[in-house]
Amino acid sequence: MSINPHPELPEFDYIRPASLAEASQFLAQHAGHARPLSGGTDIFVRMRDGIWHDQYLVDVKHLDGTNDLTFTPTGLTIGAGVNMNRIIASPEVQQHYPLLAQACRRVASYQLRTRATVVGNICNASPAGDSIGACIAFGGTLKVHGLNGFRDEPLQGFCLSPGKTRLQPGDIVTAVHLPPPPPGSAGTYLKLGRNTWGDLAIVGVTVLAAPDPTAASGYRFRILLASVAPIPLEAVAAQEALAATPLGEPAFKEAARLAAQACSPIDDVRGSARYRKAMVRKHTQLALLQTWQKLTR
Amino acid sequence: MSKHTPPNIPHPIGDSVPRVDAQEKVTGAAIFADDIQFGPGLLYARIKRSPHPHALIKRIDVSRAKALPGVKAVVTGEDFPGLTGLYLQDRHIFCRGRARYVGDPVAGVAASSEAIAEQAVTLIDVEYEPLPGVFDPEFGATPEAPLLHPDLGDYKVMNFIFPQPGSNVSNHFKIRKGNVESAWAQCEAIVERTYRIPHIQHVPIETHIATARVEQDGKVTLWGSSQSPFAQRSLIATALGVSPSDVQVIAPYVGGGFGCKAGVSMEALAVAIATQVRGRPVKLRLTREEEFYTAFVRQGLVAHFKMGCDKEGRLLAMQNRLYWDAGAYTEYGVNITRASGYSSSGPYDVPNVSTDSYCVYTNHPVGGPMRGFGMPELHTGLEQCIDELAEQIHMDKVAFRRLNCIQGGDTIVTGMTMHPTGLNECLDKTAAAIGWGHKDPPSAPNKRRGKGIALMWKAPAMPPNPGSSAKVALNEDGTVTVSVGGQEIGQGSFTIAAQVAAGALGVPIENVRVATPLDTNYSPYEWQTVASRLTWSMGNAVAAAARDARQQILELVAKAWNEKIEDLDIVDGNVISYKSEETISLNKIAIYGIALPNDQGWIGGPVLGRGSFMPTYVTGLDPETGQGPRAVVHYTTGAQAVEVEVDMDTGKVQILRGVSAFDVGKAINPNMVRGQMEGGFVQGMSTALFESLQLKEGVLQNPSFVDYRIATATDVPKDIQSIIVEVPQDDGPWGARGIGEHSMVPTVAAIANAIFDAIGIRVGAPPYTAEKVYLAMLDAGLVE
Amino acid sequence: MATHRISLTVNGSTELLDVPSQMTLLQMLRDKLALTGTKNGCSAGECGACTVLLDGEPVNSCLVLAVECQGASVVTVEGLAKDGVLDPIQETIVDHGGVQCGFCTPGMLISSRALLDRNPDPSEDDIREALVGNLCRCTGYNRIVDAVQDSARRQAGKA
Repeated sequence: MSINPHPELPEFDYIRPASLAEASQFLAQHAGHARPLSGGTDIFVRMRDGIWHDQYLVDVKHLDGTNDLTFTPTGLTIGAGVNMNRIIASPEVQQHYPLLAQACRRVASYQLRTRATVVGNICNASPAGDSIGACIAFGGTLKVHGLNGFRDEPLQGFCLSPGKTRLQPGDIVTAVHLPPPPPGSAGTYLKLGRNTWGDLAIVGVTVLAAPDPTAASGYRFRILLASVAPIPLEAVAAQEALAATPLGEPAFKEAARLAAQACSPIDDVRGSARYRKAMVRKHTQLALLQTWQKLTR
Repeated sequence: MSKHTPPNIPHPIGDSVPRVDAQEKVTGAAIFADDIQFGPGLLYARIKRSPHPHALIKRIDVSRAKALPGVKAVVTGEDFPGLTGLYLQDRHIFCRGRARYVGDPVAGVAASSEAIAEQAVTLIDVEYEPLPGVFDPEFGATPEAPLLHPDLGDYKVMNFIFPQPGSNVSNHFKIRKGNVESAWAQCEAIVERTYRIPHIQHVPIETHIATARVEQDGKVTLWGSSQSPFAQRSLIATALGVSPSDVQVIAPYVGGGFGCKAGVSMEALAVAIATQVRGRPVKLRLTREEEFYTAFVRQGLVAHFKMGCDKEGRLLAMQNRLYWDAGAYTEYGVNITRASGYSSSGPYDVPNVSTDSYCVYTNHPVGGPMRGFGMPELHTGLEQCIDELAEQIHMDKVAFRRLNCIQGGDTIVTGMTMHPTGLNECLDKTAAAIGWGHKDPPSAPNKRRGKGIALMWKAPAMPPNPGSSAKVALNEDGTVTVSVGGQEIGQGSFTIAAQVAAGALGVPIENVRVATPLDTNYSPYEWQTVASRLTWSMGNAVAAAARDARQQILELVAKAWNEKIEDLDIVDGNVISYKSEETISLNKIAIYGIALPNDQGWIGGPVLGRGSFMPTYVTGLDPETGQGPRAVVHYTTGAQAVEVEVDMDTGKVQILRGVSAFDVGKAINPNMVRGQMEGGFVQGMSTALFESLQLKEGVLQNPSFVDYRIATATDVPKDIQSIIVEVPQDDGPWGARGIGEHSMVPTVAAIANAIFDAIGIRVGAPPYTAEKVYLAMLDAGLVE
Repeated sequence: MATHRISLTVNGSTELLDVPSQMTLLQMLRDKLALTGTKNGCSAGECGACTVLLDGEPVNSCLVLAVECQGASVVTVEGLAKDGVLDPIQETIVDHGGVQCGFCTPGMLISSRALLDRNPDPSEDDIREALVGNLCRCTGYNRIVDAVQDSARRQAGKA
């Protein structure tokens, strides 16, 4: 961060397109100089810090259903403009996707979450994003509007590196869609910050599990790790081990060891790689145990 | 003081009246420096700052910046040759030829908008020749270190500061009491430890803000977020070479100070720039990031302790070497070095003490006063060593402290005789409240619980003769307006001023107004709002002013009623006679006096009481031994204890409970005293668990709230107990002493001692982050 | 530099303003409307001193563009008291000694008001969680938490 940061936001033009088509057109025309604006909680911070220099911010919060949160038999659709507090407070989310509500609740503060969105969290592709793991674990797909209209983009593999995604110029993520949760599923998000609440994750562990007769253990787990790799990291070896072995504390301990082995954290001001690895192990083990207790309750 | 206050009227002294500034502050009406409206003529300043921790400035080209439309002035160090500084004049307003820390101001711009000023700053070209830096105070004190202030020998300095020209040591304070060397042999146990205390920041929620206007004739007006309007007036006048009386400082409410808004810092930049755009107000507002980079920091400290006791546990000797990482300029920091030296025994009776306290220039941010003024840094290590000594001789830590702690009549480390103090009472009450000696089971199998205790003392650190003054004026409605020069920075000084005036005069607290904002043209002189000195020093001045007004009123009424002053009193806003049982309300006599019978004229008139206070008894100390009859005005003492739980899975330290007890002499407003104790405890706790400025080769790695974390509402224990002990101060108003700073002095040590009690490990330097504690447990084999 | 004409309601009064794209709601309140009760502590959504109600929900006004507030209703600390009568939270924060320097106070009051609006009977943990985005360096928070609890009790008593 510069010793001379912008005192306030630098100059840019706020664009409020009338339709998604117009928005995509504009963004493509000004590729590299324009950015879709949803809650803005990251965009404004990065522009003020001088990291982003966009000339145009294209507000997409009110276009064609981007502000809708809908739950149907095909699953949950979270519009790009839906803020996290709405998700946390939604009875449908609390009933069917409690893991997502739990993860969103750990994001920053209440007043930040009035603006912050899950779609924004995903598109920022921060390794520390709290809600991304839950969306991946539920098998989420993104609804993307580009120059050629709508398409679906799987969330798996969407984040490429910190701040980088598969999105192309003109693309606007209008919603994230989560299929119905697997029957009998349970999940846990554990976050270790420096403060009890409100901090960025030193380590974040998302676990989602559900009964699955095709697995030898009878259950299928998904484990996503935040802040310990350039992108949200799926602990594949740990997941496979949990599918293959009888479940219980020894299995969770071993899976936690595998998860820690899989991650490649860095040293930064928030924590050392050594500590992060140890904490991945502890938190994975604990998240697995808590999930197991919910599953077998 | 009212002799006969009727029992049905609460006396304002000792009553927890609501704050006088509360209504303004909850309705958004309270004006802070950033809120003052200057209209369209306002110009905005931004500062070009050094990206290098140490560099020669070879060339500055401001031509492109000057040519930018909207830019009104560009200034550099060339324009301002004057030096300034509180105790040591070692600081130019802008760098001249050399930059000494990352963020050192190199040039300044005034423009018609903040955005233009900011753009102009980017157009200033500066050519630097980077130099090797000093990033460790112990190294800095050696002859091998690069010399940061070759002109140290030429700087003006107060006579109790001892710079060592030709070195980076800008003050060397010594204590030689008794004979340490011969004492070690008599010690049953000796502890020798080094503690490295990191730099931290004050983190007021309001950043520094200053607006300055310089008239054609050179008169200066400064509106600033300031703890010290009069000191700023003086220091800015010195820097610019103008008369202090031609500088007017107007200081509205301060959004948190904790020391960083004392003395002068960025305010001088605004004034300097304003000299080049006469007649136009120029506003400089530090961003949060600039605040982290460039505002006063609490200095780092490398402290070597050696102390020993006999087999009964009596402290026999203490040897301290303190290397203060005082940063690029030490104009204020030199006195922290001194203060930590003359209190370097901690609150203990130790016959043999040797201390060397060094103020060392480094290429780190500028060290300044912060709540505690060296005492939290000193006590953090010292109070852990005390614990270790007690452990070594298998003595209870509270008993060890009770045996050794300072008491009235003791000869303290500087040779001064200690005044009566309630430290023992603080210790016993704290120990009782925390349940000392009793260990509760942890809340979960993966947690461990512990208790820790620490003592403290602290004297106001200041020149020997800092003055206070006050005015008390009667208004026509019988209310009273108190004018003071001491600032309200949240600690409640205006409320104390009102209570003291009400108590000394005999009016209800509701009838007292405090004149705001502070203005050096209208407010009576006050040295600075620092050192937890206002309740005591300003309180004395207010009491004197109120008694002066009272005397005037009583003389008037005595004359009018033909009675003796001794028979009169002022009670609840009325003058009463105990003899004739006459009574008259102050509003009947306040401004217009009293009519004589039969239209024979009038006596009296507007009543204006004046009062001042200055300690006159503080003596110098011998430069070689630090000994003298009276080093300081007094000490506030106290104790804190905590109960913590350490999470063995993460290393996270949870503070479960905190207890404080401080001897405040007399609590003028008990609720506000407890508020200071609580707030200080939490600030101390925050520094213990979270806070450090992470400096890498002089470059700050965490200049924002994202990565400089402070305690939030979710980190604070629900159970914080604050106990008031009152052993009166002989020269305090109603016996009062200060409490603002003291409450965060022992906190880090108490927490460290509790962590040790929980896990059996001394984690070392704060902050005791989850990571640091966990890795210490891992290295010790305590966790797998 | 594009400017936009917006209309919105601030503390119950309708405003028509021309605002540049990059102007934040915080700047608009302070610089255009001279509602300086809302404070700027970090310009980055970290300290909460600038918290206001936007359509009834608390936001960091430093992270909202003024232009995004077209048609919205904003309440600042100046709008909490009605006809000279303080909001209960304004009274209790004074009664409990939850004000020291006063710089975080406006944001604390708004966050507290918003909590009590969505949850009239919050637990102590609810209150602490709701205030996690409001930094205070003076009070140590507990007196503010007490004030919110007391305010909830007083409101319940009135209802």
